[in-house]
Amino acid sequence: MMIFRKSIPRRTFIRGLGATIALPFLDGMTPAFAGPLDTAAKPALRLGYVYVPNGIIRERWLPTKVGTDFEMTDCLQQWAPFRNQLTVLSGLDGGPQFVGGHPRGSGMYLTGVDPKKSLNDVLDGVSVDQAAARELGKQTQVDSLQLCIEDAAEIAGQALGGYNAAYTNTISWRTPTQPLAMEYRPRAVFERLFGDGDSMDPEARLARMRRDRSVLDFVSEETTRLLADLGASDQTKVNEFLDAVRDVESRIQRAEASPPSADLPQVERPIGVPSAYEDHARLMFDLLLLAYQGDMTRVSTFMLAREYSELVYTNLNHTEPHHPLTHHRGVEWRIQQAGEVNVYHCKLFAEFLAKMRATPDGDGSLLDHSILFYGAGMGDADIHNQWNLPVAMLGGGAGRLKRGGIHIQYPKGTPFANFHLSLLNLIGAPTEQFGNSTGPADLSAIV
Amino acid sequence: MKISVGCICGVILLGAACLQAAQEQSPSSGADAASSQYRSVINRYCATCHNGKLKTADLDLNAADIANPGKAPHIWEKVVTKLRFRAMPPDPLPRPDEATYNSLVNYLTTELDQASVVNRNPGRPATAHRLNRTQYTNAMRDLLGLEIDGASLLPADDSGGFDNLGEVLSVSPVLMERYLSAARKISRLAVGNPSIPLDSANYPVSPYLVQGDRMSEDLPFGTRGGVAIRHHFPLDGEYAIKVRLLRTADGYVLGIAEPHFLDVRLDGSRIKLIQFGGEHLGRTAGADGLESDFQQKEYERNADAGLVVRIPVKAGARLVQVSFLNERSASEGLFAKRKRLTLQDALPGANDLQGSDPDVSRVTISGPYGARGSGETASRQKIFVCHPSGEDEQSCARDILAGLARRAYRRPVGERDLSPLLKLYEAGSSEGGFEAGIEMALQGLLVSPHFLFRIESEPSRMPPETAYAVSDLVLASRLSFFLWASVPDEPLLRAAEQGKLSDPAVLEQQVRRMLADPRARNLVDDFAGQWLLLRNVKTKTPNRDVYPEFDENLRQAFEKETELFLTSMIREDQPVPELLNADYTFMNERLAKFYDVSGIYGSHLRRVDVQDENRRGILGQGSVLLLTAYANRTSVVQRGKWVLENLLGVQVPPPPANVPGLKEKGEGGLGTLRQQMEAHRANPACMGCHSLMDPIGFALENFDGIGKWRTAENGAPIDPSGTLLDGTEFQGVTELRQLLHGRPELLVHAVTEKLLMYALGRTLEHYDAPAIRGIVRDSAASDYRWSSIILGIAQSTPFQMRRTRPL
Repeated sequence: MMIFRKSIPRRTFIRGLGATIALPFLDGMTPAFAGPLDTAAKPALRLGYVYVPNGIIRERWLPTKVGTDFEMTDCLQQWAPFRNQLTVLSGLDGGPQFVGGHPRGSGMYLTGVDPKKSLNDVLDGVSVDQAAARELGKQTQVDSLQLCIEDAAEIAGQALGGYNAAYTNTISWRTPTQPLAMEYRPRAVFERLFGDGDSMDPEARLARMRRDRSVLDFVSEETTRLLADLGASDQTKVNEFLDAVRDVESRIQRAEASPPSADLPQVERPIGVPSAYEDHARLMFDLLLLAYQGDMTRVSTFMLAREYSELVYTNLNHTEPHHPLTHHRGVEWRIQQAGEVNVYHCKLFAEFLAKMRATPDGDGSLLDHSILFYGAGMGDADIHNQWNLPVAMLGGGAGRLKRGGIHIQYPKGTPFANFHLSLLNLIGAPTEQFGNSTGPADLSAIV
Repeated sequence: MKISVGCICGVILLGAACLQAAQEQSPSSGADAASSQYRSVINRYCATCHNGKLKTADLDLNAADIANPGKAPHIWEKVVTKLRFRAMPPDPLPRPDEATYNSLVNYLTTELDQASVVNRNPGRPATAHRLNRTQYTNAMRDLLGLEIDGASLLPADDSGGFDNLGEVLSVSPVLMERYLSAARKISRLAVGNPSIPLDSANYPVSPYLVQGDRMSEDLPFGTRGGVAIRHHFPLDGEYAIKVRLLRTADGYVLGIAEPHFLDVRLDGSRIKLIQFGGEHLGRTAGADGLESDFQQKEYERNADAGLVVRIPVKAGARLVQVSFLNERSASEGLFAKRKRLTLQDALPGANDLQGSDPDVSRVTISGPYGARGSGETASRQKIFVCHPSGEDEQSCARDILAGLARRAYRRPVGERDLSPLLKLYEAGSSEGGFEAGIEMALQGLLVSPHFLFRIESEPSRMPPETAYAVSDLVLASRLSFFLWASVPDEPLLRAAEQGKLSDPAVLEQQVRRMLADPRARNLVDDFAGQWLLLRNVKTKTPNRDVYPEFDENLRQAFEKETELFLTSMIREDQPVPELLNADYTFMNERLAKFYDVSGIYGSHLRRVDVQDENRRGILGQGSVLLLTAYANRTSVVQRGKWVLENLLGVQVPPPPANVPGLKEKGEGGLGTLRQQMEAHRANPACMGCHSLMDPIGFALENFDGIGKWRTAENGAPIDPSGTLLDGTEFQGVTELRQLLHGRPELLVHAVTEKLLMYALGRTLEHYDAPAIRGIVRDSAASDYRWSSIILGIAQSTPFQMRRTRPL
């Protein structure tokens, strides 16, 4: 089923492992799993949340002027070419009352729910990306992508202050008890999108799907049998398992129903994980671009580093890890270096924005058809608070946004969840309450 | 401000209010004579804050009946924990004397322990406990004889101290996709599907590793540099092994001015000796300052292009060894010619080209080219217990799958289990024949909830909240996931199937057998790696300017030292307190130099007596000292916290929100670090915790941020003195160690707690405390040896029993 055609650069380059991996595409690539709802007339909306840890140094981020006349701070300056599609949001809080700490910072960022303090179990809320993915993810092969840079398993003692490490390792929550692991391996992301077959041969791909479906049928029957053996109160985890089986089953069915045809891009699988932070981050952004471009997913979250990250940005000539830098205690060089990290992250994101804008999508560019958030879960990392989170929104919103180039300041104490609520209603996932929302946030300036 | 339970920070702020409230207290009535003296101790020292009015830390000790502590164990266990470390009452409130402390603790624990026998509460680990990534990986090794890289197949698991906690391990669709694809790859590899396509694997070597010596036990003598890799070759066929050498920042291959020999081996036999380097295709850059000409530059950029070996390899896991022939005699020393590469040097510049030695930067193994069949791998031998000829395919498939399912599901399997697997087998075999059918059934088996979940289902018709002994099969799984992080092996499973495991003698015999098994190294790799945070040694990035001595070799030696040390502790069944006090460790030349020990040569770590009192035990080891420091300085707080939480079992709460750190007006402007910390501690909100952590951290101040001994910092002498909460004064790491070693039950208690949490895969609750005390008490007779603690856990109530569903 060919729904829309678009021209794609013949070769896309993904950098990784210090070498250049060429990704030759076939001409005129068409999305493999586009559903019938996608027509050239109504382009699909892509939603993304890019997260940076340990807050952002205020002076580097927040413009003093509100409205269309706001000034470009060091961070925002990186996005100067996209100013007309940039909305800076201020005054939004992680929580209505004072709450603090890293696990709450990332744990509440997209959920608006104060996470349960426990090592043994997790309880948070459904995150806004996942609430959106229930709508936007219906048509795509992958309902949402979760990306990161660090391998959480390699960090022992990552559980912080009595909170399970899940709260700092992810910002995506499928259910209040189901944190979604973020993927740091480019190859795993690639395989999720394009399958782990060794050829992109559509026949082989279909055969693999049929096989996977037989296996899933088996698993599903086995799980039902197991559930029958268990008492009602013991079924939670196994029920979750069954849900996961069904979800994967339905996605395979969808993929089978819209045959991939020969237009599937011929892409090389990345091998290994780039050792340099920058190469790694760029490679992940490039994979995200591919996923949006091929309409294989419309929702993503990407943690440029996990909350509480102790990464040392040696490429900026830093020797202190990021987290202690942000506890700057007013010491000038720490503020300086923490700010350098902030600007650097914005710069990497700017590269992604440029690629999104350079990629045609229907009647516009991918960036035109996106709403991308960039921000942090802490207002002031030095004293661990979540007031006035740094948040910005970029992209044209596929016709849902009428303008950008504005700094909107919300009344002090407005929960970020209010904005999530409004956003969900804006993109067609209507809801009346989200996390700790107290009502919808006013979007009249931009929609 | 809300004070979290167990937080002693901020308590001081309430001191005045507490004292005032104390005068309004009336002694509680109804206590019998035996307990009235304790009532008055509580009233005098505790209830001034922890009363019905103030409820400090949510604790009302007036309402709690001290005559019957067993009626409110959740309250009194909390009290015991605080008193054990003398953490309460906080300074400057009056404290009881040692005798009173001891007698109150004794009274409470005796009462609580007695009550726990009458009213057993073994807790309730998750009914469906998902295997985590480590366990899945180990299970593949034990079930299928397949060494897989779990990290490349499955996402990481979330950790609450340990990453095996059942309540946390959930299954999302993303994970399901990964399970599906992992099972597809694994079943294909295990069966040796002849259509396995060409693939390549990269094995990078850190540029910060100085390759000046023989790099590993797995590399031949007389070699220098390189790497030994365990690689799984999926099929009989040809494979290419390609070696990339280290380059300068601008892309020139290092160390090719002179000829060298690269030695490539497979399982110890040399495949090829390749000569390279020393070619002069044109003008070479020289002392005259002129650059190389074009041809020579091309050569210098691509001098490693010929380092490829293509050979037929038999399928299976094999050792690929790549190294350089060492053309110099040992007497020239470690880094005779090669400019020593440290973190400070980063990547060498182009001018290092002359006179340095080549280093391996990456090995890539690709293949199979022209596969020639499945070969005879360990996996195939494990799987294909029969080979059908003609009509008996079905019954052979049944035998194979019955065996695999029994081990994978960790229980006897019946027709209910087998017929769905056989259905999958038929679907596969109808398309691709017998082996394809087995492969398909195996793929299904590896995604089956019976494999992925450890199920501890309850006996039917048992009333809620009842303690019951788990079945032998459940016990077998508990044991194997505890000691091996893997599925039970045949002898253990058989003992359980025969119902013998509940026999204490059989249990003990099995535990001892399992501890002696190589798989028990899991206790070091997985348990201790998480308990002592040793995994983090890998992630540390010491500042190159401050610690020029630090390089990858030192990091690896640190890791290896502690790994060998812990392995020897457990393997030799040493007393647990020897962790602190052992008079031996493991060193190679690099490490010995760092520790100022002479007479150790070569890269191989061997057992060495520790002469320096300050280096005895784990507190003197570089790994621990490095992982508790910042990149450019030590951290008394992190070190103190590490000792408290991991060696003493004291949970240090996080700093309260919104308390800013010290304002340092220019670093060092306020005097020494100690003075700054003391000023910090003067803040009442900080004092409660820091008065616990800091003295311990200061005792370790003689070790710098990478663990090097020092007596002064920035010209000022180090003052490693400190005072513990009970008033004991000490001087430096040796006295701290002696103090801790003098109260072995503290360490043993902490180790038991951590081990029990790991063993059960759940966080511990107040009702587990009597079991822990019992294990510690009983193991005293065996000098607290590791086996007595581990056996104690295997025999304990929470391990042997389970509680039914809540009401």
